[in-house]
Amino acid sequence: MADTAPLGAVLAVPFALAVLATAAAGFDAVLSARAERGSGGRALREAAAPMRESVRLLGQQRRRTNAADPLLGRLGIALVPVAAVLAAAVLPWGWGAATDPAVGVVWFNAMEALAWAAVWLAGWGPNSALSLIGGYRFLAQGLAYELPHMFALTTAALGAESLGVGDVVRAQQGLWFVVWMPVAFVVYLLSAMAMAFWGPFGQPLGRDLAGGAVLEYSGADRLLLMGGRWLLFAVTAAFSVPLFLGGGNGPLLPPWLWTLLKTAAVLGLLVAGRRLVPAVRMERYMEVAWMVLVPLTLLQALAVAVVVRNR
Amino acid sequence: MGLSTRLRAASARRPAVLPVTLPGATRQRLALEAELGAHGPGFADRPAAASALVVCGVPGAGHHDVLAAVWAAVPGPKAYAVVPHATRVGDALADVRRDLAAGGDGPGPVDVAKHGHTEHEHGHAEHGHAEHGQEDGHAEHGHAEHGQEHGPEHSREHGHGHGHHHGGLVAGLPMADRADDRDGLRLDRLHLTLGPALPDWPTGLLVDVALQGDVIQEAAVRWWASEPPADLPFWTEPWLQAAHGLPVPEGAAARRSCAAHLDSLARLLSVAGRPQPAARARRLRDALLGGAAAVTVAAELPRLVRSVRRSAALRHLTAGIGELPSPQAESAGLMGPAAAGDVHRRVLAWLDAIEAAAARLDDRNPLPPDAADGPRGRLDGRPPSQALLDVLPGLLAGAEFACARLIVASLDPDVDEVLGMAAAHG
Repeated sequence: MADTAPLGAVLAVPFALAVLATAAAGFDAVLSARAERGSGGRALREAAAPMRESVRLLGQQRRRTNAADPLLGRLGIALVPVAAVLAAAVLPWGWGAATDPAVGVVWFNAMEALAWAAVWLAGWGPNSALSLIGGYRFLAQGLAYELPHMFALTTAALGAESLGVGDVVRAQQGLWFVVWMPVAFVVYLLSAMAMAFWGPFGQPLGRDLAGGAVLEYSGADRLLLMGGRWLLFAVTAAFSVPLFLGGGNGPLLPPWLWTLLKTAAVLGLLVAGRRLVPAVRMERYMEVAWMVLVPLTLLQALAVAVVVRNR
Repeated sequence: MGLSTRLRAASARRPAVLPVTLPGATRQRLALEAELGAHGPGFADRPAAASALVVCGVPGAGHHDVLAAVWAAVPGPKAYAVVPHATRVGDALADVRRDLAAGGDGPGPVDVAKHGHTEHEHGHAEHGHAEHGQEDGHAEHGHAEHGQEHGPEHSREHGHGHGHHHGGLVAGLPMADRADDRDGLRLDRLHLTLGPALPDWPTGLLVDVALQGDVIQEAAVRWWASEPPADLPFWTEPWLQAAHGLPVPEGAAARRSCAAHLDSLARLLSVAGRPQPAARARRLRDALLGGAAAVTVAAELPRLVRSVRRSAALRHLTAGIGELPSPQAESAGLMGPAAAGDVHRRVLAWLDAIEAAAARLDDRNPLPPDAADGPRGRLDGRPPSQALLDVLPGLLAGAEFACARLIVASLDPDVDEVLGMAAAHG
């Protein structure tokens, strides 16, 4: 329990996560503005775009669609930010996590898996065909990413011989896991994006579906779903730091600063890198996931197991 | 109160605009996209995300149902504006900002069909399902099996199955019927119409689909009601003008052709999930149409072409989709870039055509009257877009939704061309 932060920090978790997600969304908006309009200095003003959009949405009416199931739909929407914040409970911020249970990695994965239900329910709720297709898409996506993802998580836990997040970080005091588990790290980042239905894996909310699962939502509903997606993305990306990048370990600087720097680097990399790839469709990705990524992660886990066994 | 007023004013300054373009209003669409593209990310891709509905073109009687349904789906505060002419974009956006700042509860689309208005009102009050209002001016062009058109976003409240009477109604909506899927399983089947308000969708195109899950079983193509357009179709204007004996320089035709392909490319890239190269393509398109000299696009155009051509991810994700073997393409009368193989090869064909056209921007020689080499194919016979529309249903059957969007974008039929050439010849 040494890694657990004081109680007050528990209350700070949602806010810290929101700040992280807003910063990532702001960075994304700046990059988009630069790429799309080619404006240098003016693009920086776009950093406030996520805030502006939030304000606009708060002032907007909510919509009701005909013969909808608003309870299911809103349950799905609310699950997205809730799952993100609950997952963040085991995320170490450098001075410790809000809580550090012995099965922290499993808890994290369980919270992420809530996204399955969330997007499906949100897509189902409005009784709208394209929105429903968005929900279907996420189920197919889950089928593709979840297995490689769990093997990647397992590999890190195997290397630390513990499912506790604090233990995983301590096990990297010498060598970061990314160095001898590069495959697991890369697969983790891919599945982090897929699970947050973000970036190249954003097809469940795709523009070709005019928004897919979020199509019918406006106002606060839309804010919760889209904002929740950024929260989920931020927490899954940030979790790669304790899993593979040594958490707060590093020379000279204090652990919290190392954590922050590494998290910013991962988020920055993903936000910038997403611009280089088209939207990934599951009917093509499934083959990659199961025929390439699953065997690769299994081999990676095997290699790690052999190392651990002979330690 | 002070705070919320100020926040509302701030939001009103940058409204999220949902554009809906009527057939024949390509000039207005381009003007709107250029204006909003230059001044902020102002586009919404669905009614629920929008705070303003801006219609490019002057709506006729046959457009009202769709527009009213889209308008009903935009959450308040909201504003409505029409861009009757390309030069009026600034006015329309100013109106939108003013209406939003004033509270955003102004009027929506006006039903211009004064006769039969009771039917309409009845239909809208109940978010009309099956039978309301056979539109005048719509049944004329022979493509309308259904009484009215509607955006896909409203399939739910606006009847995804009108014209398909199975299963009865639940809460005013037709039930899904059942049919065998491609594996012989008996599954629910939904009927809905794609277009005309989908983002990155060819202007004026409507595709009625029977959908199982996200797989399209059957598709039928028609277009959104339209009066015969007054202007020549925008993308084929130089060739048609030359054919009518007007003096048109080669360079102007090359410029139009290059811009047309950039427009198609931008749509496809956007559907494929590459918004940024799509935005660059649109910016180049706008620069070309704005009369930019060849040297000013000489730097960026080849860069865009190169990066799209080299993208292995794009190839991997689009190759093999919408494949039409060349004998079939030939017998269907397919011309131009669309005749090339599959979605990815169509993109490559656009890139080649863009490069070829960009090299001729400064050509001052007059365009021969029989040049007729429009962006989508030869213009001296049947409109090339008609062939595109003809092959579309066959290519869509059996495609998953995302693939179907790519197929439509890769063919990018120009309804204006079909309507305009029919009007010119008829």
